[in-house]
Order: sequence, then C-alpha cells, then structure tokens
Amino acid sequence: MTHDEMEKLMSMSLEEKIAQSKKVIKEAINKYGPENMAVAWTGGKDSTTMVWLFREACKELGVQMPKCMFIDEGYVFEEIWDIFNKLKKEWNLDVLIAKNTDVSDKAVNVGDMVKVSSLNERNKREIAVLDYEEEEFPFEPESFVGNHLMKTVAMNVFLEDNNVKALATAIRWDEQEARIEENYFSPRRIPPHERVQPILHFKERDIWNFIFKYEMPFCVLYKEGYRSLGAKGSTVKMSDIPAWEQDLENTYERAGRGQGKEEIMGKLRDLGYM
Amino acid sequence: MFNIFKKKTNDSKDKVAVLGIDGVPHSLLERFIGEGMMPNLSALANKGSLAPMTASIPEVSSTSWSTFMTGVNPGRHGIYGFMELQNVSYKWSFPNSNDIKSETLWEIAGRNNRKSIVLNVPSTYPAKKLNGILTAGFVALDLKKATYPESAYEYLMSIGYKMDVDTRKAQESTTALAEEIASAFRIRKKAMLHFLDNNEWDLFIGVITETDRLHHYLWAALDDNKHPQHNFFLDFYTEMDSFIGEMYDRVGDSVPFIILSDHGFTTIKHEVYLNSWLRERGYLKFNKEQPDSMEDMHSESKVFALDPSRLYIHTKNRYSRGNVETSEYESLRHKIKEELLSLVIDGEKVIKTVMFREDIYSGNLYDKAPDLVALPYEGYDLKGSISKSQISGKGFLTGGHTRENAVFYINREISDGDINIVDVGPTIISLLGIEGNNFDGKCLLNDR
Repeated sequence: MTHDEMEKLMSMSLEEKIAQSKKVIKEAINKYGPENMAVAWTGGKDSTTMVWLFREACKELGVQMPKCMFIDEGYVFEEIWDIFNKLKKEWNLDVLIAKNTDVSDKAVNVGDMVKVSSLNERNKREIAVLDYEEEEFPFEPESFVGNHLMKTVAMNVFLEDNNVKALATAIRWDEQEARIEENYFSPRRIPPHERVQPILHFKERDIWNFIFKYEMPFCVLYKEGYRSLGAKGSTVKMSDIPAWEQDLENTYERAGRGQGKEEIMGKLRDLGYM
Repeated sequence: MFNIFKKKTNDSKDKVAVLGIDGVPHSLLERFIGEGMMPNLSALANKGSLAPMTASIPEVSSTSWSTFMTGVNPGRHGIYGFMELQNVSYKWSFPNSNDIKSETLWEIAGRNNRKSIVLNVPSTYPAKKLNGILTAGFVALDLKKATYPESAYEYLMSIGYKMDVDTRKAQESTTALAEEIASAFRIRKKAMLHFLDNNEWDLFIGVITETDRLHHYLWAALDDNKHPQHNFFLDFYTEMDSFIGEMYDRVGDSVPFIILSDHGFTTIKHEVYLNSWLRERGYLKFNKEQPDSMEDMHSESKVFALDPSRLYIHTKNRYSRGNVETSEYESLRHKIKEELLSLVIDGEKVIKTVMFREDIYSGNLYDKAPDLVALPYEGYDLKGSISKSQISGKGFLTGGHTRENAVFYINREISDGDINIVDVGPTIISLLGIEGNNFDGKCLLNDR
C-alpha cells in the first residue's frame, strides 16, 4: 500500500473507518469461513474494538462468530481478567485461553527461575532455536526466553491445535513505526496461516471516540492513566489522568511498555554504578 | 476599580530562570573566580549570593534533582536512588518519571497557568505532558519518548541533539572522551538558547550534565598540568563562564536567575564496596561464590547495600526471602552502625556518620526508604557492587560525589543559614508568585 493510500484511510471519518474494517473482516470470513478463524483478544481497547466489529460483521453476514484466542502469559492484570469475564458473558464469546502451562506450572511467582531440563520437548526445542544455552531462565515478561515461550509459543501451539487458517489481530499503523509496513492481509509461515489486521487505519483517538460513541465497556486501567496494556510488571502508567484525556496526538502511546532495563544498566555502569 | 478580568501581565518579576550544572562544587567555582577564569560568574557573584549547598541523601543525581524539582524529601517524592531491589523477585527496577509521587515545579506552575521550559533535568524520563516544553535528562533512552511536545522533538532531531555524553568514548582515549563531552556541551547550549529565545516561558530550567561526566572521568586532570586533558578541563570552565554570561544577558537583569548543582565532587581516594564488607562480616550471603545479581541472595542474609550508600535490613516483613525478625531489627541496626563507624582503610576512618531512616525521611513513601544510610568522609566513594572480592579498591573513575559543597547562586540577597537542595523549589515557586504549597524546604529569600 502506498503512503498516500494509508494517509487517506487514516483520515476517514469514524463511520467510514468502521465500514472499512467490516469490509476487511467480511472478506476474510468469506475466504476462510468462521470455523477456520480465530480473533486474538487481549482485553485491551484495540482488540475489544475489533471483537465488536467482528460480531457486527458476522450478524450482517448471518454467520457464527469465530472463536476468540486469549493469551495468558502468566502475568495478566487482575483488571484485564475483570473485563475478560464481563465481556465473555455479556457478548457470549467462545473464548479459548492459550497458555504454555508446561512453563507456568514450574514457576510460582514472576521472577522464579525455571529449569530448561524440566520442560517438555517442544519448549526445549523452542529454547534451542533462540540459541539460549543457560540451564535456567527467569519466568518474567521482560525476559527473552520467558516472553517467547509464554507468548509466541503459546500462540503457535494454539494455532496448530485448533487448525486456525486465519488469525485476526488488532494492530494499528499509528501505534508504532514498525507497523507502518503492515497490510490488511499478511501471510505467516510459522505455523502457516494468514494474519488479518482489520483496524490498521484506526488511530488511538478513533478507538476512544468509538468506545464512547458505542458505549463499549473497557478495562478500568485506562481510566487510571494507562495508555497501552501489556504484561503486569512491565507496563506503567503514563499519567494519572484517563487515557482518553491525555494528549494522544503528541505523546507516545507505548511509552509505558517495557523499560529497556539492559540499556539503563549499561548507562549506570558507565558512571560507576551497579 | 479593581478589575478581576485584568489580563495577567508577564511581569519579569514573575519569571525565574534556572541553570543546573550537574556535580559542580561550590569550592571549584570560588577557586576559578579567584583565579580570574570565570569573570561573568564573578560579576554575578558580586550582585547576588553564591553559596555552598547541601545535597540530598544519598547524593546521587536522581535523588537530588527529584528533591530539587519537588521541594520535598525522598520519603514524599519516592526517588531514593537510580535503582531499587524488588522485594519478592530480587530483580532490579529503575525508577523513572512515573515514580515521582510529588508534584514537580512545572506541574505546580502549569496548574497556575504558567508556562515552563524544562531541559535535560535528570529523572524526568519519559516526558509527561506539561504546559510548556520538556526534554528529559539522564537516564533517557529514546528522544521521542523523552520530549514533549512533538514540535520540540522535531527541532531537537533537526540539530542532532544528544541526550547524553557517550562515556564509552573513554575506552578509546581521554581525547576522544573530551571531544565527546565538548560536542555534547555545544549541542546542549544550542538547544537551551534556542528554547530560551523562541518560546514563551515563566519558568526556564536547563541542566548541563557534561560537568558531571567531565568530573567523573577527568577529575584527575584538574590539578595535574601534565594530564593530557588538563587544559581541556580548564577551557571547559572558561566556556561554561561564557555560557553563563550569554544566558544571563538574554534572561535580563530583572529576572531571578538561579544556578545550582545537585552535589559536589572530590578526588576518589578509595572506592568502598559495602556489600563486600557485609559479606566479610557474615551479614550478607549469596547462593554462589560469584553472584551474578541480587537474585542470587541467600535467604540467611541479614543486610545488603544498594548504590551508593543505602543499607537495607533483610526483614521477614519486607522481603520474600527475608529472615530478620522485627524484634532483632533495632539491635541489628545499631550493631551495623557501630561497626561501620569503626571501618578503617589504610589507617583512616571511612564513615563519618550513619543515619537511620527516621532521621532523614518522612512521608507516604517512607516504607520504601533504606534502613540506614552511611555518610563517608570526603574521598571515600561508597558502592553497592556485588562483584568485588575486596572491601576497597580503585575503579575507572577519578572523581566522586560529595553531599556537602554543592552550589547555589541567585542574583538576589538570601537569608542567613544553611542551604539544602530541598529549599530551591520553594524559592522558585515563591518567586513565581505562587502560594499555598506544602514543601519540606524553605524559601531562601529575605523578603518572603
């Protein structure tokens, strides 16, 4: 897609954006069938918006709503579970939880060390692929191995087990620069499936406008000042005012995610600390 | 008739300009003034007050600048150092601007409809929205996240702004490091003068951090005229003096002009590794001989230290592996204090005072405070390192921080008495004509 086409899509009105997303969703459903699809739902504002759009599009097509995939990476905010349970019930969602229990069963708390030798063959193989050679790794969101096993592997196993041919995700172009290359449909190799990305053209502001216009429920953490929700422990508030009242256009949505610990330590060491 | 709708005039008496010079000792400036090297500062000193100031405890930039920017003690703002140990996982966490729990000077100013420009103040990353402009100082990782608003980011990008000195240049040569410090200083001055000239402000705060880097790495060059960077060190201060003059001219005589540092500097005689000392005495144990991190701490440990001089009792209440009972706490603290006070290296005492948390801190975040803080004699650089086998040694830095002998200047008369960095914020807010804030510090001016 050219830059101009993207600009045009991103500057549409909210109603035009909703129509555009539904068009992408319907195209995917017609191509793969709802039974072969899954909708990635995190309980966050973007994926909840996408789930709503899917429900509407399915109603209009007269087909069943595809199943939702929720990744439990072991450090989910309690407030996310609250919205998860509420919407699962109210919207009657068929949600399956993807969790790498082989790993999470070996750790009681975030930060606990997990021995590689205690894991099943699949997880051992995944660790070998990462060129990680230590005997153990910390069970925590910012760790390279922990993140891979609890998120990527959990998702891949889910896709394989459920024979998912198309997975819908709620990424947006304006979220971070790395996403500018993304398209509505994008084939993936491991495991083979298609990514469907129907809300790429929504801006952060559009999401909030949408939420208030359609009175969508949302996670209370946004009200407390979180802008973007990741794992508990690696996500911080950007401000004490609600997300939608913050200066969305001039500040960085994902600034509260991840801390760059290694980089900070390096800088501190250069000044004689640590 | 009194007109309540009268537009607030931008009287110069309501403005304040602040130049931060990280890690500059009062005595060094007095010396350079005496040697005729800093004529601009000398002239300013004659029409105002140049005085020594006491920094925060501990005397590190994150704590000191946070104390400056809030006017309250760490028990209220929450920044006790550059790192904290998580009490369940024993992993590091690194406090950032989101962890500062008291209102900053620019937030107070903003709430009173006043504009601030805040440049390179440590511990302000990531940048939060404010009424004005902010680009964060150390430890800032990403210029975009460090800067508000976007237009300021775009300007900084356009001039090739550097957030910090790349101190890894020190591994090449002292010349490479000196060039790096000089170029960071140049770009910092350029950005500061740009915002000073082109943007409206009531409160302007710009901090130069190159001084701290210069002192850490090249302090030995100051008094050694054979050191390859001796002239660079002196020239740096000549340039600093020109910059002070240039900034003062632009701000104007009538505007309150403050210069401050966040701690002093001195020659490091010895680095002192508190955790090695605690290990030797059996207070601290690790699961392996050479621990990789605090995560290797043994559950029998009773005390540990974090940079630079913070000591924590490993209590059952506070830490997941802690074993010290509440009933043991007091006697253990007193024992550690006595033993630290008798620590001797090369026949000289190292620790001047040991303070208990209740003597230093108070507020909502008191629970996060270290249990004891050791205050050393000048020249002993306390460290929280866990990788050293000796109690003392030499590192790659020649200059270390001091709590005493930081500097405060204002082009006004100030009241008699000791000056602490916690007093600077209340002084600024008072000069801005804003009342009703609950600070820990006091206004330093005579007439207020």
